[in-house]
Amino acid sequence: MSESLFRISPGFEEVMPVEYRELVTNGPCGREVGVSDLGTFKELIEEHPLCAGCNMGLALRLILASLPKPEDTVIVGSTGCSSLAFTQVAVHNIHSLFGNQNAVASGLKRALRLRFPDKVKDVVVIAGDGATVDIGLDMVMQSWFRRERITTIMLDNEVYANTGGQESGMSPQGTVLNMAPLGKRFPKVALPEIAREAGCAYVATISPAQPKRLERMVRRAILTAREVGPTYVQIFCPCPTNFKFRPNEGLQKIKQRQKEGTFQVREYVSPEAQAFLAELEGADHEK
Amino acid sequence: MVNQRVVTPEHLFFEAQREKQFITGSEAVREAIRRANVDLAVSYPITPQSESMHLVGDIYAEGYLKEYFRGESELAVMAEVAGASMGGVRVFTATGGPGTLRAFEMFPAWAGARLPIVCAFLTRGVNSPLSIQPDTIEMAFMLDTGILMFHAESAQDLYDMILKAFVIAERPDVHLPVGVFADGFFVTHTREQVAVAPADLKLPPYDPYAAPVPAMDMESAPVRQMRDPFVMKSNFISYAAHASWQQEILAAQERARKYVHRYLEGLVEVEHPEAAVLVMASGTMVSQSREAVAVARQQGLDIGLVKIKSLRPFPREEIKTLARQARTIIVPEYNRVGWLCREIKAAVEDTTKVVGGPRVFGGMTMPPEVVLDQIRRCCA
Amino acid sequence: MTASEYRVLPGPEGYLPPAAACMGVMLPEPGEALVEGKIVPEEDALQKIAEKLLAARNPVFFPGPLVLWAWREGVAEKAKAVVELVEAAGARIIPMPDYRPKYPMINPAVEINPNHPNLTIWHNRIDVGVFVGVHCHYANVALKIIRGGTDCYTIALCGEMGHEDAMITLRDVDAAKLRRLTEVVKTRAQARPARAAGAHERR
Ligand SMILES: Cc1ncc(C[n+]2csc(CCOP(=O)(O)OP(=O)(O)O)c2C)c(N)n1
Ligand code: SF4
Ligand SMILES: [Mg+2]
Repeated sequence: MSESLFRISPGFEEVMPVEYRELVTNGPCGREVGVSDLGTFKELIEEHPLCAGCNMGLALRLILASLPKPEDTVIVGSTGCSSLAFTQVAVHNIHSLFGNQNAVASGLKRALRLRFPDKVKDVVVIAGDGATVDIGLDMVMQSWFRRERITTIMLDNEVYANTGGQESGMSPQGTVLNMAPLGKRFPKVALPEIAREAGCAYVATISPAQPKRLERMVRRAILTAREVGPTYVQIFCPCPTNFKFRPNEGLQKIKQRQKEGTFQVREYVSPEAQAFLAELEGADHEK
Repeated sequence: MVNQRVVTPEHLFFEAQREKQFITGSEAVREAIRRANVDLAVSYPITPQSESMHLVGDIYAEGYLKEYFRGESELAVMAEVAGASMGGVRVFTATGGPGTLRAFEMFPAWAGARLPIVCAFLTRGVNSPLSIQPDTIEMAFMLDTGILMFHAESAQDLYDMILKAFVIAERPDVHLPVGVFADGFFVTHTREQVAVAPADLKLPPYDPYAAPVPAMDMESAPVRQMRDPFVMKSNFISYAAHASWQQEILAAQERARKYVHRYLEGLVEVEHPEAAVLVMASGTMVSQSREAVAVARQQGLDIGLVKIKSLRPFPREEIKTLARQARTIIVPEYNRVGWLCREIKAAVEDTTKVVGGPRVFGGMTMPPEVVLDQIRRCCA
Repeated sequence: MTASEYRVLPGPEGYLPPAAACMGVMLPEPGEALVEGKIVPEEDALQKIAEKLLAARNPVFFPGPLVLWAWREGVAEKAKAVVELVEAAGARIIPMPDYRPKYPMINPAVEINPNHPNLTIWHNRIDVGVFVGVHCHYANVALKIIRGGTDCYTIALCGEMGHEDAMITLRDVDAAKLRRLTEVVKTRAQARPARAAGAHERR
């Protein structure tokens, strides 16, 4: 980060709206704050237009609070519900097209490495399930094949939510949705397994029902991407609006699916990533 | 990296001693990129473009570019260079025909995002049926994407236009993508004498901090920045913002005119502007027409030639003025739709003067005699 | 290329007026400026800006991210020069901290946004608005909207090449040029002290 990116120029402190002053005086950048400190610091996301009880909104909040180095993180998003929140996010982020996020991130990461060879610049993709597993799958997998040093995070609400509830590759088999009037005819795509085979050094599935675990996984994914290779985190965040449950039932839904065994928290760490993380986390413990 | 000296664009284009090389259009692309101080290039094969990006790969290996890789499809390649451009580096790529169409969604996105990407379009036919042969139909589709468009007649043009495209694209008041178009095979695969600047000179680097939009690097203000934020609510305020944004792309195209004049030395080149009949053409059709015009003039016909170098911005005023004194305007083309004829008709006051064609396509060549026949008919 | 006849005057110009660049207005070359669509020597434009600022009922500066945030060397100096100019002109500051659309959540009393700058101008009844430190793309988006729907007289102090849709635009504006403008404003204010002081008192 430019040293002073979060510094208000002298003479303008008083006219700056309060939300910006708080970002400067009490934001997360350059500080060791995380998910358990939520509520005590100014978060990177302002008011957003997602539905009440949207689990994706919660997931996004948690992801942003988990970034190991927000002051040097650039996010690439895609079209979908989450993109409506991204205008309000206080790190540089890109919306290009629906589905091209991993290609944009590949170019971006390489450009930042050219311009800032001595700095860490984390590039993190955050996109919906439709963007990741359907229209963008080609570019997602190709970025993994090429071993791009980026983290891909899927916000898996098992549906094309933003366009009104159509079937996606991540919808469970049998689910009746728009464009699947007789129920989906094939199972949820096994993207974590695909990610592992396609070259991801670290793969995890999690939900916002376990914030601390989510934080740890997001951090591990981003740190591994810096040094080892591409990483993938799939975050289950069911959509109350399209699956027609009440806004306060989100976490319950997740737990119910966990009980059924149709959603599992999992983590795959390649041997190389394991060695890397062991060293890193060991060093952290010693501190 | 190879050691090269940064010089001003003016020096590289107009002052440096040039050396003649007998090279193909693809090699002219390489020679332009060698001197363009490009940071990153992404490639993807398609005939007749592939060779040009092989050659760019070769000079990457020699140390003239910092980064180069093969993308997975044209849509992805155009997204990859977009990401890199938003990250603040100078980028280059090339495609043609079906590749152009595969990537199509990215071109308005480039323009809307104010990305100064330079892309060579080495044109060919589009499916169906499949054809790898020369045809300029893809240019019809590209006209309204918001990118600037230059059309090279020769390998010399291709070399000059690519280098100059970077300088025009990156002006802070323009800051738009530029497509440099050349007719596949006719330009890419034929050899001619091309005058090039010394290989140890290069353009100054790109300055992302003079751009009209913030670079996405977490180094530039403001930190709370989405490229590009939606104005997507259903109300007048949002529509007006989107409309003003689109107008700004049109305005930036207009601002480019000044630089096209300065660097390409005009949007058009005219031979015998006073003639009663004018042939107006772009790309290699200019060469075919030039031969026909020469023969016709020998035979005493009152005929002139207008070479259109810039399609976006379009030389509206130039063509309107030329058309005023002409009786007839002939527009020969290498495509079936006659997009240049449409453009010219939209610029002139009396459209009945404009005679579309002859046109050939699907890879057919245009014998100068066919243009000459049309000239004879129109001069009769 | 011929000089355009198109005049860039305060609006409301209409439902969706064209960009001035598309009507033939061209940006100034170094040493020049644009006043209402016409190229003039920069010094003339400085005088005209001072005149407009001092005659204004409610002049407001809209500093953008490039000057509000001390993101690179030289910004603090430029920011100081802006603040001095604001004071000399007896104007107010309403910042444009970033470019994300905020409608309908915007508080137009305390900030301006390039996607809907008209809301802030209407709310505060701003008759002269000055852009400084705004990325060119966003300044242009905003200036057209302002000209389309408000009667605000817009002035752009651009660090790059200027803006056709502002009624007055300077180019290559750095701290030194801002200080020069401040001098011009002060000199003119001394000639007519009542106006500048009056503007102060009304706040
Ligand atoms: C090329 C293209 N095709 C289709 C769309 C329409 N579209 C926009 S968002 C969206 C669904 C997004 O689904 P997902 O990625 O799962 O995100 P969610 O809205 O569920 O968060 C679709 C189909 C588009 N914008 N662009
Ligand atoms: S539709 Fe669903 S995913 Fe989209 S914002 Fe609403 S609750 Fe969230
Ligand atoms: Mg979804």
